[in-house]
Parts: sequence; structure tokens; C-alpha cells
Amino acid sequence: MKKTIWLLLIGIVVLIQLIPTGRPESTDNNPNDLIVNNNLPDSVVSILQTSCYDCHSNQSVYPWYSYVAPVSWLVARDVRNGKEELNFSEWESLDKMKKAKLIDDIIEEVSDGGMPLQIYPLMHPEAKLTKSDRQMIVDWAESYGESLFE
Amino acid sequence: MRKLFFTLLMAVTALLFFNFTTPGGEVKANDSNDKTIEIPENVQTILDNSCYGCHNSDSKNQKGRDKLSFDKLNSIKTYKVIGKLTDIADVLNEGEMPPKKFLDNYPERALSDEDKETLKNWATDAAANLAGK
Repeated sequence: MKKTIWLLLIGIVVLIQLIPTGRPESTDNNPNDLIVNNNLPDSVVSILQTSCYDCHSNQSVYPWYSYVAPVSWLVARDVRNGKEELNFSEWESLDKMKKAKLIDDIIEEVSDGGMPLQIYPLMHPEAKLTKSDRQMIVDWAESYGESLFE
Repeated sequence: MRKLFFTLLMAVTALLFFNFTTPGGEVKANDSNDKTIEIPENVQTILDNSCYGCHNSDSKNQKGRDKLSFDKLNSIKTYKVIGKLTDIADVLNEGEMPPKKFLDNYPERALSDEDKETLKNWATDAAANLAGK
């Protein structure tokens, strides 16, 4: 009886691996990327790449567990949603209005702690933002936002 | 008598015209580009009735005040104004504003579908205008 349950469980875990996750493909060729096209301070580049780019760019780095269902579903969903809201790899293709709106959103999310999502630093402790990290992003975003209209 | 009536009619027509062509209030973006957004009278009326109570800098509702103060639109940077205007259109699309709890207490503050359209169109156009589109 117990054996049957175990076999059934293992069978289910194996079978769900076959369900497509819809995980976005990564690519390093991003001519419209924010970092590529702008002279950002190194500190800002480093924070963006470490704490934001996994979900907000085409350069997601997928750890091994993100290939295993059901975790893969959650990762795929977060990356899809993240890129839909904001994809730094496509930054230069956005018009001024969209850029302004996103910069305003970035400032809000980063200063009130909405981003990164709480679940993310659990598996990526290096992505945790200190107060001064947050301030650096906000300072950069404010000056970038203003520069859009100068 | 007929002449008097005609004069009156003309006067009323002229008044109406005057009313419609006068912008309800101009908001100047504090920016080197010095762009302005206009709040037409009909939009202002809707804002006054359904939004301004919480979204002004003297509001007791801190969250509402922090998110958006209509009277401060003239003292924030252009990119922020665009952000706020886009947010207005978004929360209306999502049906998030005015909050349900608020409407339970003040049903007369609800926005009709037409009001929502008016606000959305105004916000979207004003944002596009600021962005130079």
C-alpha cells in the first residue's frame, strides 16, 4: 500500500516534468539594452545585473532547480511577468512616455521595498538590496528621468 | 421684444463659448522644457467629486496623498507627472479607484463609465503631450 503511494507520487513528479513551463529563452544579444546604450555608474550596473536582470531582461540566469517542476512553473511565471512589466534588454525601443512611466515605477518599487520580490533573495542572497543600494538606484533613476526632458 | 430676446440669446451663447474655451486650470510642469498640461473643466469636475478628497497635499489619507496629490502636479518633474498620469489610466482600467470601501460610505462619489473614459482619455493624452508625442 505504502509502496503504491510512493510509486504514484514519483510517477506524478516525473510526469509533471513533461508539462511545458513557458520559460522565456535567454540571449546575450540585446542591442537595445539599457546598460549597453547608456553610460551608467558601475555600481548601478552591478546592482541591476545582480538584483533585477534575472526577471527584467533577456539575460535570465536559470539555476538548476528552475528546470524542475513545480518550481520551474513559478520561476517561469515570475520571469514572464517581470519582462512584461519591464524589460531592460528592450529599453531603447521604448518611447519617452513609457520610459518616464517606468522610471517613476522603478523609483517607487525600489524605494518602498516592493522589488525585488521577497521570494527572490531567498535563493539569491546576493540580490538583497541594502538601503544604500536602493538609494543608488533611486538617485540614478531620478537623474535619468530628468535627463529625458532636458 | 424680439430684439431683446435675440440679444439675450447671443449673450448666453457668447458666455457658453467663453466657458468652453477657457481651460479649467493649467498645470505647469516644473521642467526645463516648461511644458504644460491642461485640466479641462469637465475633468476638473470629476476629479473634485471623486478623487481630490484623498489626493491632495492636505489630505488626511497619507497613502492617497503620497501616491498622488493633484495640487502638487505643478511641482514635480515631468517624468513623474507622466508616471502619475499613466497610473491614473491604469487604476481606472483595473477598477481600483475610487476604493470600494470609500464608495460604500460615499456612493455618490462613484465614477460613471463615462466619467472613467473622460479621465482616462485626459490622462493618456496629457501624458503623451508631455512626452512630446
